[in-house]
Amino acid sequence: MNRGSAEALTALVSRQAISDAVFRELVEALPVAIYMTDAQGRLTYFNAAAIKLSGRTPELGTDKWCVTWKLFLPDGTPLPHDQCPMAVALRGDDVPTGIECIAERPDGTRFWFMPSPAVLRDGEGRIIGGINLLMDITDRRDAEMEAKEQFRAIVDTTPECVKIVARDGTLLFMNPPGLGMIDASYAEAMAVKNVCDVIAPEDRERFRAFNEMVCSGQKGSLQFDIVGLKGKRHHMETHAAPLRHMDGSTVHLAVTHDITERKHAERVSLLLSAIVDSSDDAIISKDLDGVITSWNKSAERLFGYTAAEAIGQTVANLLIPEDRQEEEPNILALLRKGERVDHFDTVRRRKDGSLIDISLTISPVRNAQGVIIGASKIARDITESKRIQAKLVESEARFRQLADAMPQIVWTARPDGYVDYYNERWYEFTGTGRFAFGDASWEPILHPQDLQIARDTWYAALHSGDPYNIECRFLDRRENRWRWFMGRAVPVRGAGESIVKWFGTYTDIDEQKQVEDQLRRANADLEQFAFSASHDLQEPLRSIKVYSELLTKRHSDKLSGEALKFMNFLRNGATRMEILVRDLLTYTQARRFDQPPEVTDANEALKTALANLSDAIASSGAAIKSGPLPSVAVNGTHLQQLFQNLIGNAIKYRSPERLPDVRLEAEQQTGYWVFSVADNGIGIDPKYKETIFGLFKRLHSSDEYSGTGIGLALCHRIVDRYHGRIWVESESGRGSIFRFTLPV
Amino acid sequence: MLVVEDNEADVFLIHEAMEATRLPLTLHVVGDGEQAVRFFDRADDDPEMPCPALVILDINLPKKQGGDVLEHMRRSRKCADALVIAVSTSDSAEDRERMANLGADEYFRKPSGYDEFMKLSDIVKDLLGGPGPLRKSTGRT
Repeated sequence: MNRGSAEALTALVSRQAISDAVFRELVEALPVAIYMTDAQGRLTYFNAAAIKLSGRTPELGTDKWCVTWKLFLPDGTPLPHDQCPMAVALRGDDVPTGIECIAERPDGTRFWFMPSPAVLRDGEGRIIGGINLLMDITDRRDAEMEAKEQFRAIVDTTPECVKIVARDGTLLFMNPPGLGMIDASYAEAMAVKNVCDVIAPEDRERFRAFNEMVCSGQKGSLQFDIVGLKGKRHHMETHAAPLRHMDGSTVHLAVTHDITERKHAERVSLLLSAIVDSSDDAIISKDLDGVITSWNKSAERLFGYTAAEAIGQTVANLLIPEDRQEEEPNILALLRKGERVDHFDTVRRRKDGSLIDISLTISPVRNAQGVIIGASKIARDITESKRIQAKLVESEARFRQLADAMPQIVWTARPDGYVDYYNERWYEFTGTGRFAFGDASWEPILHPQDLQIARDTWYAALHSGDPYNIECRFLDRRENRWRWFMGRAVPVRGAGESIVKWFGTYTDIDEQKQVEDQLRRANADLEQFAFSASHDLQEPLRSIKVYSELLTKRHSDKLSGEALKFMNFLRNGATRMEILVRDLLTYTQARRFDQPPEVTDANEALKTALANLSDAIASSGAAIKSGPLPSVAVNGTHLQQLFQNLIGNAIKYRSPERLPDVRLEAEQQTGYWVFSVADNGIGIDPKYKETIFGLFKRLHSSDEYSGTGIGLALCHRIVDRYHGRIWVESESGRGSIFRFTLPV
Repeated sequence: MLVVEDNEADVFLIHEAMEATRLPLTLHVVGDGEQAVRFFDRADDDPEMPCPALVILDINLPKKQGGDVLEHMRRSRKCADALVIAVSTSDSAEDRERMANLGADEYFRKPSGYDEFMKLSDIVKDLLGGPGPLRKSTGRT
């Protein structure tokens, strides 16, 4: 019932289209409260429904309709009686339609009503009264309120985000869980002008299109990311429906769920299944009855059954050989108790019937409530590792057998330096028990003076990974003395180039060492002897010479011719002996190593040598020619002695048929120089080309050519001292070329 | 003058060389290093005993080496300033240097010719200031 119906009623009344009686009966029966007033608002009529609504029977002609009520607007503000819709209408003003009001009866009960006032006019249009229809809308309002409250309760209690978004993106409403998701207070959320501001940038366009679609009347769902006001990202899944807004526009109502965790779980689960699939180990799950529930790729490879063939079968039937059937019940019993089985080495049967060695690790699987519902089982093929292990044991046994057969002490150590093995020789030598290995097990028998260097060498090698040799003394408990050993250690590298082991030996070099020492001492003694002998030998020779001279000088008148001749022999012999001794002295000194290294200009050394030979050169008429000579790392005296002896020889052993012609040259090779001294002398029979370099070796008698047989031996000794080589190229009668090498 | 020399053949030659100087020299000869050391000790103890103006000292001596004798002499209260000619068959630079460091005034390598040996007389004459009266042996620097 609305104003239209009240006016229609008025029209009927005024046109008297129906009789008063019929009209009254009709109005009386209407379930809507109807009353009429005069122009002053005094009641002229009311029906039964009106009595019911007002809660009393008013006095016709005196009471105004609303006087006993307090009136309120829907928002709760009081409505004065002169402002009530009927009063407004009787003043001739327009009354808005659809007004809803609240009335409070004298007993305090309230009801909602919707008035529809209309005025009655006479023929001249003057207001002569009014008629009003009051529709009780309390039930509808209550239902609405209830719906609203229910909606609010749902919205407030749901853990999901509920929001309403306008077509332009304005956020119209968001519930507390939604605010939580974007880390905003209500005020902050309402301050967000456009909901797109909290959508992750890459999802904004999609969200805008989705919003447009929903606001155009379509339902839908969408996944997108949001970035909260504090920068936190969430994965969201929204389910949206269009909603008619109060202002008639269509807006977007959405229930949005935070799926961050679900996404994470999905990823984890994807990752896990990828791991399971890519694992080299067979990964199988089964329930507590031993029925297979999952079967990965490696399980297919390892056992030969496809997942389809295996799932649903029992492990006992499919995989366990007859003689091991008792294993499965035991395993299942352990699992039921919540225990796991670790690295259980056993044998299983493939589809083709062949057996394989596997290592099993089985763990119970629990459901969310912690109840054991099955087991996951990892099976590793250990056929290869078993084979390698067997090989290792075999090779280790072979190594020990070999090591024990060796005369040396043999040891091995881990890459960190821990000595993990000694052979039999060690225990024989040290007398220690078999338990005595480890880090410093070698230290107690080591000579205190060798301890530091041995430690330093060993730890430096561990650090650098380089092999080493060391000489050190160990206590020989049987002879109660120190014995020299030569220690060698080499790293053993694995496939990855990393050191997997150190392998070392100790060789007894005590005797060798003693011989070496003796030899060194003997050599030193010999040199000392040669030095002092040649020195002391000169003194008596000098006396022989001086006194044979004095005898000849002072007593020649008393001496016969023969005696004088003998005296001459005596003096010549002494002179030769003197030269011999002097040369011998030079020879013994040539090997002394105490000269500091020096660089000598060979041209200078040659000049000195030639000066010393000037008499011989002059008397023989020799021509000495030299190309440019280099500087070499040789002691100057040594180089001079080389030149002097070789050129001296070239002059001494000249051909009687021609004047001596000596040519010197030097040619560079990698790392050394080759010097050559070529002459046109008598030459040397090739069969003597080795012997001429020996001490006191002479090819001629002193009568033919004077000499001590030391010159070339000295040259050899000098060149040898610099790790060079000296040799001769010659033929009898054709001259000789002496060549020697010296370091650059 | 004191001659410290174990080789009689050389002592004879030294005698001849000294005669050749025509200086009024009295030669006192000892045959080894220990005798030489005792000589200087006695000179220190006995005020009556004169010190030699010149010592001819062989480097290679029995019992005590020439170098040790020289060292001992240079510590003597009385004879520290005597002139010294070191003599040796050796021509080694090492020996020369060592004796010079110990305070030898001259070094004479014993030659193997008679005439060359007699050159010792020239050295002695030079040291003692020529054929005049004996120079006091204190002018050593």
